[in-house]
Amino acid sequence: MNRQANHSIVGRRTSGVNEPLTVHVKAAEKKRKRTGLSKYLYLLPAALLIVGVIGYPIVRALILSLYAYNPLSSGKTFVGLKNYVGVLSDSTFLKAMSNTAIWVIGCVFFQVVFGLLGAVLLNQNFRGRGVIRGLTLIPWATPSVLAAMMWMWILDGNYGLLNDILMRIGLIVHPIPWISQTGTAMASLMLIDVWQGIPYFAVMLLAAMQTIPGDLLEAAKLDGAGAWKAFWKVVFPLMLPTLMITTILRIVWTASYMDLMMVVTQGGPAYSTLTIPLASYYRAYTDLKYGEATAMAGIQALLLLIVVVLYLRLMSNKGALDNGK
Amino acid sequence: MQAKTIAKRFIGKSKTLLSLLTVASLLAACSTATEEGSSAGPSENAKKTVVNYWYWLDDASNNTMEQLIQKFNESHADIEVVGRMIPFSDYQQMLINSVSTNDPPDVARFKDWWIGQFAESHLLEKLDDYASKWEYKNDIDDVFWNTGRTADPNSPIYMMPHQFITFYLYYRKDLFEQANLKPPTTFDEFLHAAKTLTDPSRQQYGFAYRGGSGGQDQWYAFMLAGGARMVDENGSVVINNAKAVEVNQWYIDLFKKHKVTPPTAVSDGFAQLTAGFQAGTTAMMAHHVGSYETLHKALGDKLGVVPMPQADPSHPATMGTMTGNVMFQSSKNKEAAWEFLSWLSSPEATDILSQSTNGQLPVLNTLTSKPEYTSKNDGWKISIESLKFAHVWPPFKGVGTIAGHTWKDNNDLALFGKITSKEMLDQIAKTLLE
Repeated sequence: MNRQANHSIVGRRTSGVNEPLTVHVKAAEKKRKRTGLSKYLYLLPAALLIVGVIGYPIVRALILSLYAYNPLSSGKTFVGLKNYVGVLSDSTFLKAMSNTAIWVIGCVFFQVVFGLLGAVLLNQNFRGRGVIRGLTLIPWATPSVLAAMMWMWILDGNYGLLNDILMRIGLIVHPIPWISQTGTAMASLMLIDVWQGIPYFAVMLLAAMQTIPGDLLEAAKLDGAGAWKAFWKVVFPLMLPTLMITTILRIVWTASYMDLMMVVTQGGPAYSTLTIPLASYYRAYTDLKYGEATAMAGIQALLLLIVVVLYLRLMSNKGALDNGK
Repeated sequence: MQAKTIAKRFIGKSKTLLSLLTVASLLAACSTATEEGSSAGPSENAKKTVVNYWYWLDDASNNTMEQLIQKFNESHADIEVVGRMIPFSDYQQMLINSVSTNDPPDVARFKDWWIGQFAESHLLEKLDDYASKWEYKNDIDDVFWNTGRTADPNSPIYMMPHQFITFYLYYRKDLFEQANLKPPTTFDEFLHAAKTLTDPSRQQYGFAYRGGSGGQDQWYAFMLAGGARMVDENGSVVINNAKAVEVNQWYIDLFKKHKVTPPTAVSDGFAQLTAGFQAGTTAMMAHHVGSYETLHKALGDKLGVVPMPQADPSHPATMGTMTGNVMFQSSKNKEAAWEFLSWLSSPEATDILSQSTNGQLPVLNTLTSKPEYTSKNDGWKISIESLKFAHVWPPFKGVGTIAGHTWKDNNDLALFGKITSKEMLDQIAKTLLE
């Protein structure tokens, strides 16, 4: 566009039209300014959408967290940071915070490990590979409430399939009430979430693996690298950006995920599976304290933001964001 | 060149104008559809008053309410009831959301637990004036009308009573006969039977303790049967007095000390309870008439029903809960809403609902006195017998919170010995008044 504007000035200057040069320069500048503005206009719909859909609810929630607000009563009272102080001194919320940390670290760690393993296996040449790749997606495609109901019966302490198998092979003598004990309830929920999340990692990492040029692996082979070394020195660094973004997304999703707890344990037994989203939900919808509930959600969002920024910086320092180059 | 630019500008402006007009027309169309109901065309519904009704179903496979709405709409040319079925697990949350967005339904199915929360926030319409002119007003006993009031002694009626349940005890006749036991009538007999019928090596337990979702009703039924009360005659909260602490300890010890319940009891909900009882893993289970058909179908003659065992049979008590219908104060069509609300409570509509798989005890004397109800089956018979000593949850604001999570949280802690019986009840008493 700028080139066009310049061309127009030159063209007019050489055409011998009797107009002062400054007028043309001003017109060109005006046009350039208009062009400069137009790029912001192009961005405007997306920006408006982001502000409306993400920005407004965040600001609204932050404002609400400064009020005592019961949705069934009219009016709300400004309480400043009292809601934040209140929830941070509440032992149940502190328990929910530590549970959330265990839940997120445990679930995402095992999903990454087994997802990576799954991606390597699915990348091998074997008969029926296409069918197997499709079937591995079933857990990911299963609605979370359905998965929760299914696993409730698998883990059932009286008639569960898992207990039955373990008793048949002689590993246990009596059935274990997996979801009814404080020591096993969280691990049981993590098992369900890991089962659901592995395919997501496997498919994402498999897609990243398939973009790696074959000649790089060929060159590594010629240089004397074995399969193990080639994987860690060539394949893994090239997969790292995908692994990173997948992990970040999964951290955020896992931290906010509460369907399983809600259906299977309702946060129990004895708060052992109560996480921040579920605590926030109860505070809002059964205690009717929206201000405290949004303060809880705000604290979780802040913690997640810190984790994600730290993780990004760490990976950026290691060059993981440079697409392996 | 100039003419082209003008033409382009004109077309551009026309397009913008056209877009605005289209959006405006769509908005107008949407608003018309909302006001007149979406199930029929504008011309057809132009004279009809729309009443929005929200409800849940205990048995979602049989939408009896939809049939009732259709029947009402067919017989009322000037009213169009638009029903919306919402799963019970989401129901209270949906109602709260609708209120906070100023868009509640006109009429809604309602639990007595929620009256305190909603009525004290002036969200429900007072029904006294409507009810006083209703032809079946005297066919419902005062005790049922009172379930629609708040804890205030001068409270008006906020909920039309409709369907009631009372807790009783199911027992496995076959297991009791094998052990040469009689069905229990007292707490001592109950504990003796539960101990006798417990053998963990065979995965056999005496009692199906509901520690999971919804367990507060079973707990409250045993608390009442043990002689504890939530409030006294003066309306003071006494659920944490010495008597209540003692009964609560007795109930906790079924799991903690006597171990007559499955080890999964702390998280067992209704599905686990019925599965265990049907499989013979448990020999006794406390519930109400809502599960009778399912259990009878699975167990036939092996199913036995007795009233709740009592600590002192001379002063029997059990828990009851009312499901009724309320009108929201914000309704713009109150006359039409009342027309539907009162029709739902009429003998005609109540009979249809009560005879369905979503049925519970009707509150109209003309129906409960009919032989098809009194001798329908043992479940109905014992339920109707228990009506005279049933207590509902007190209509305090905190009942919804207790049912939502306070009871379960504290019961878990008490079962694992992390808090005492007294501490658990103190927390419940505190929540009740919040």
